Amino acid sequence: MSVRRLANGDVELSGDCPSGEAEVLRAMLAETPEAAVDWRGCQSAHTAVVQVLMAHGGPRIGPPGGIFLRRMVEPAINRG
Amino acid sequence: MNEFIEQFLIECHELVTQATDDLLALEEDPADADRLDGAFRAFHTLKGAAGIVDFDAMGHALHAAEDVLSALRSGEGRVSAQVISDCLTCLDQVLDWLEEMREAGEVPSGAEAQAEAIVRRFKGAAVEPAAEQPSIPEGWAQGLRDRRPEAAARVAVRYAPDVDAFFRGEDPLAILAALPGLSALEIEGPKAWPPMDELDPYQSRLAFMALCDADAATINAALEPVRSQVRVQALPALAEDAITPAALALLTAQLDLLNDATGEASPGRVESARRVGVNVLRAQGLAAQADRLAEASADALGQVLESILSGGEARQPAADPRQPAAHDAVTRALRVDVERIDALVNLAGELTVAKNALAHATQLALEGVEAEVLARTLRAQHAQLERLVNELQRSVLNIRVLPMRHVFQRFPRPVREMVMSLGKPARLFTEGEETEADKTIVEGLFDPLLHVIRNALDHGVEAPQTRLEQGKPPSAAIRLRAAREGAHVLVEVSDDGGGIDVERIREVAVRNGIVDAATAQQMDDAAALDLIFAPGFSTAREVTALSGRGVGMDAVRTAVGRMGGQVSIHTVRGEGTTIRFTLPFSVMMTAVLTVEVGAQVFGVPLDAVSETVRVPRDRIAPVGAARAFVLRDQTTPLIDLAEALGECRMGDRQDEATVVVVRFGDLTAGIEVDQIGDRADVMLKPMEGLLAGMHGVAGTTILGDGRVLIVLDLQALLQ
Repeated sequence: MSVRRLANGDVELSGDCPSGEAEVLRAMLAETPEAAVDWRGCQSAHTAVVQVLMAHGGPRIGPPGGIFLRRMVEPAINRG
Repeated sequence: MNEFIEQFLIECHELVTQATDDLLALEEDPADADRLDGAFRAFHTLKGAAGIVDFDAMGHALHAAEDVLSALRSGEGRVSAQVISDCLTCLDQVLDWLEEMREAGEVPSGAEAQAEAIVRRFKGAAVEPAAEQPSIPEGWAQGLRDRRPEAAARVAVRYAPDVDAFFRGEDPLAILAALPGLSALEIEGPKAWPPMDELDPYQSRLAFMALCDADAATINAALEPVRSQVRVQALPALAEDAITPAALALLTAQLDLLNDATGEASPGRVESARRVGVNVLRAQGLAAQADRLAEASADALGQVLESILSGGEARQPAADPRQPAAHDAVTRALRVDVERIDALVNLAGELTVAKNALAHATQLALEGVEAEVLARTLRAQHAQLERLVNELQRSVLNIRVLPMRHVFQRFPRPVREMVMSLGKPARLFTEGEETEADKTIVEGLFDPLLHVIRNALDHGVEAPQTRLEQGKPPSAAIRLRAAREGAHVLVEVSDDGGGIDVERIREVAVRNGIVDAATAQQMDDAAALDLIFAPGFSTAREVTALSGRGVGMDAVRTAVGRMGGQVSIHTVRGEGTTIRFTLPFSVMMTAVLTVEVGAQVFGVPLDAVSETVRVPRDRIAPVGAARAFVLRDQTTPLIDLAEALGECRMGDRQDEATVVVVRFGDLTAGIEVDQIGDRADVMLKPMEGLLAGMHGVAGTTILGDGRVLIVLDLQALLQ
């Protein structure tokens, strides 16, 4: 499972997150919009997943694990 | 070079010029069907020409552009800035090829990849109705470049995935992650996101912008699967990326030092190379590269330096795409009206007749005819020859005459690019394009004029908002005007910007140590304004990539001065500034006043001579190391020509000094000579070989009595 609810209510992304996880993530964040997303263990994420993160706009716990996510995607999300 | 290729190059250059003209006019008025037809015809003819010389790649690229223009002609789609940019890029590529052909004398090999990149640009463009495309902000690529100056980049990519891209299995981030040389990424989302309950995570609402340090063809190939959703734009190198030849030589020397196979690279040697490399890169403004070099391990130092030198990170200034090299290439071939050639052919015939008449006179002399008869015959022949030679001179000079159009038509492109990168809308108006001047002058005007226009746009023209507040139209007008005035040609650049703040000029001149505060305050406004021509002067509040670092107006004055012209400036606060070049019509014929110093004859350009006077020696006063005299209540510096040119004065001094008073720009000075001679029209020969570096000399010519006349370069002498 690459998207899961942590005991403290936050949401964790781990490993590779394919497009199918976008809907799972969206549903969890719709339920608890205040939840933070911990993506330190996330190695790669489909664009649809990243789009959900951007739409959520809530707190994120990072930096993400994957190099591309860390070097390019996270700074781009933070800029936008 | 093969004559066939030569003809091809001339024709192609003309067609490219015509197509560029039409495209830029079309951008102004997209409804102008004549311009659209004109551009289409030019591309079509270019394509045909490429076919004649078997240049398939060029034909291929032009065919793609022609298709797009043809679709526009039949009403499919609309003329967009993107289409114009794509077509202009295609023409730039053609010019690059033409330049290669001019150098190599044959069709360049390996042009297919470049052609393919052009074709790909067009395939994603214009054929679909532009209205359905999401609007792309003008100047996005430059904007991105400006926001991310730290990223090494040769191309900018804009990728707006279709709404259903995820459904088709596309993962835009994965595609971007695989781009070669990706150095910066930006992601744009909608202004407001829907609440999470209503968000459809599988509808793409994102757009991506990226910078890559790779060539456009590579990037296009990598983006091939999604090309209809992508724009790829090659970036101009930042001026900061430019590396001077001296710095390049230093860096290469360090690399040689590191790669020196004869001795083991000692730690000391490695560190020394590193230190020099880092300093040179920093001095060139390449901070990121300097950091990389500073952090590289001793083993990898050579490799890092090599990649900086070869990886397109340190570009040489010659490749500044703001003015593509091919645009700058001086037209070496000259198209001449056949009538002018016929006139020369006739003259050649008449000269032959005159030569034969001379043989006849020689025969008479041998036969021992009376001296008087012989003199009469010779005089008549001399008169005949004089007329012919004068006519020959005039005809030859006429061949060298070009209309200003040749240089004026090169400006719309750079102006368009400057407008885009500065974000200040402006239009260029030209007037007097048919005004003629010597080829050397017309061609020498490009750089100084470009500099002045750049300054006008960068510093003169206000931001659109400021203009609106002052009741001016938001779009500025830059006027480029040429006119003939007597023996002179005037060329002016005017802007309707904010004008020059003379007080600020005084401040900056004082701050930069050009004059001291007291002198600055005593100067009248005109003299203070003239300070902008002083070397090292810059009023730019911040250095911009466009106008450089204050090496500017002094270079303009020098360039114009070299052509025998002068630069003046007129400014009105709030209304704008005009820079005027006053140039001679021809550089080759110069009217001079001959003067003698010792046994040597010198020529002083006659248009600089205001009068000749005799000054009693006791009225000449030493001023520091120099001398001066009073001319009509004005203290005027006096230059001793013999001393100035490093010659020894021969003979005794007379009680009175013979002085030629010359005026150059705002400077008046006296030149002391031994004797004043006559007026003469001379054809100047530029100094060559050993004499080329001689200070204060503009050129030489031979006098009728066989003596060499040295024509003085007043600008060099007086400064």
